[in-house]
Amino acid sequence: MYDPATVKKDFPILKREVNGKSLVYLDSGATSQKPSVVLDAERIYYEKHNANVHRGAHTLGDEATQLLETSREKVAGFIGSLAKEIVFVRNTTEAINLVAFAWGLDNLKKGDVIVSTMMEHHANLVPWQEISKRTGSQVEVVGLTDDGRVDMDDYRKKLKLKPKLVAFTQVSNALGTINPVKEMTKLAHDSGALVLVDGAQAVPHLKVDVTDIGCDFYAFSGHKMLAPMGIGILWGKYSVLEKMSPFLTGGGMINEVYLDHSTWSEVPEKFEAGTPNVAGAVGLMSAIDYLEKLGLDNVREHDKEIVEYALTQLGKVTNLVILGPKNSEVRSGSVSFEYIGVHAHDVATILDSEGVAIRSGHHCTMPLHNYMKVVASIRASFNVYSTKEDIDKLVEALGKVKKVFGK
Amino acid sequence: MDLYREDVMDHYEHPRNQGELLGDDVIAEKESNASCGDMVQFYLKIKDGIIVEVKWKGIGCAITTAASSKFSEYLTGKNLEKIKSMSEDEMVQDGVGFEVNPGRMKCLMLPVKVVKKIL
Repeated sequence: MYDPATVKKDFPILKREVNGKSLVYLDSGATSQKPSVVLDAERIYYEKHNANVHRGAHTLGDEATQLLETSREKVAGFIGSLAKEIVFVRNTTEAINLVAFAWGLDNLKKGDVIVSTMMEHHANLVPWQEISKRTGSQVEVVGLTDDGRVDMDDYRKKLKLKPKLVAFTQVSNALGTINPVKEMTKLAHDSGALVLVDGAQAVPHLKVDVTDIGCDFYAFSGHKMLAPMGIGILWGKYSVLEKMSPFLTGGGMINEVYLDHSTWSEVPEKFEAGTPNVAGAVGLMSAIDYLEKLGLDNVREHDKEIVEYALTQLGKVTNLVILGPKNSEVRSGSVSFEYIGVHAHDVATILDSEGVAIRSGHHCTMPLHNYMKVVASIRASFNVYSTKEDIDKLVEALGKVKKVFGK
Repeated sequence: MDLYREDVMDHYEHPRNQGELLGDDVIAEKESNASCGDMVQFYLKIKDGIIVEVKWKGIGCAITTAASSKFSEYLTGKNLEKIKSMSEDEMVQDGVGFEVNPGRMKCLMLPVKVVKKIL
C-alpha cells in the first residue's frame, strides 16, 4: 500500500517550519524536493570519486567516468531508449535550445513552419521564436479547447502547413493536461515533421517510453523528478542526432583539433561540451532508483488520487475557478486556479504566512494566460510526498484569504 | 510582519487619487511587472516646481494598489527637486511607508519605478 506520509519522511526539508507553521510544500511543479538518498549520493560522489571525466588515466577519473556512463544507462532504461541517445544538459530549457539551435539553424529556411501549442511553457516557445527570426521560418500555434486540451482539429489544420518540426508538451505545467502525445506524434510524422516532446512535467509522474511515443526528441529536467538542480536530459533518435551539428563547442566534444578546424566526438559526447555535472548525473541515477523502488505505477496512481482530491476539495471553495480539464484521467501533477477578486500574489503571500508554498503568476505560460484572459493564477502542484492533508491545509489557508479580503 | 494591516487594506479597497490628468503641465509614464501582469501609470501636474496634483491608474495586486495610493498622497504638494533627489529606498521608506517581504518588493516598487521614470 503506497503511503505518501511515509514517503514524506524521506525528505529532510519537509520537516522544516515556515513562518512558525509546518511547511506544506505544494510547488513541486516548479521544483521537487529531494530525498536523503539523492542528497547522500551527490555528497558521496564528491567525498569519494570526484575527478574530471573522459580525461587522464587515474583511478578517480575512471570512477567518475564510470559513474557518468552508468547514469546514462540508467536514464536510458528509465525512458526506454539507448544510452548513446542520452545527452546530459542542464535542464529542459537547455535541451530544447540545443535542438532549436543545433538542428534548427541547419534545417530551417525562409518560409518553413514550426508548429507549437498555446499551452507551452516559455521554454518550448521562445527558442522557436528566436530560431524562426534567424532562419526566416515561422511559428504556428495550435489553439486549445475550452477545457484546456489541445484542439485536435486546429492541430490537424496546422499540420497541413507541412511543418518541419512540431514541438509540444506531454503534460501542461499550468493546466495539468496530459496530451495524447503518441497520437500527436503519429499525425505530425504523417505530415513529414520531426517531433519534440517537452517531458518536464511528465517524467515525475508518468511512466514514459520514448520508443512507444515515437517522437524524435524528448526533453526533461532532473530537478522536477527528485534529482538535484542543474542536470537535465535531451533524448534524441540516434539517426537524427548523428546528422546534427554541435550546439556548444570546446573541450569534451572534440575528436581532433587543429588551428584551423576540428572534428567532433561521436553522439552523445558531441553535444556535451565542457565539464559535465557528474554529481548531478549521480543524483539523477539515485532519484530514478528511488522512483523505481516506489514503483512507477504507484507514483501515477498516487498522482491521480491527489489531483482528484485537490479538484474535489478546491471545487468546494467559493470564488475559485479551476483551470484545465476536470477529469483526473487526463490530468497530472497540479491544479491551477484563479481566486476571483484577489490577485494571485496576494493569495500566495497569505498562504505563505500559513506555511503553504504554492506558485503564483503565470507559471512561465504568459501567452496561455492571455489566451484564457487570466491575469495571474495560483498553482498547487504535487509529487510523491504530497498528502491529502496538504490539500486540506491549503483549503484551510484559503479561508484566511477570505478573512483578509472579505471575499 | 503583517502585510495586510488595516491601513494597507484601506488604501487597497479605497485607492486615493485614481484617475488621469491632461495638460501641458502634466508629466506621465507607465511601468509594468510582466511576471504579474500588473501595470501602473502615474500623472504629475507641476506648477512652479511643486507637484500640485497626482493621479494614477492601473491594475495590480493589493500591495501595488495600496503602494500607488499611499505614494500618490505623499507626492502631492512636494517640491519636484526634492523628490528628484530621493533614492528609491527613501521613496519606499518615506513615500510608500510600509514594508513587504522580499518576494513582494517588485509589487511595492512599481509606483516608485514609474515616478523615477517620469523624473
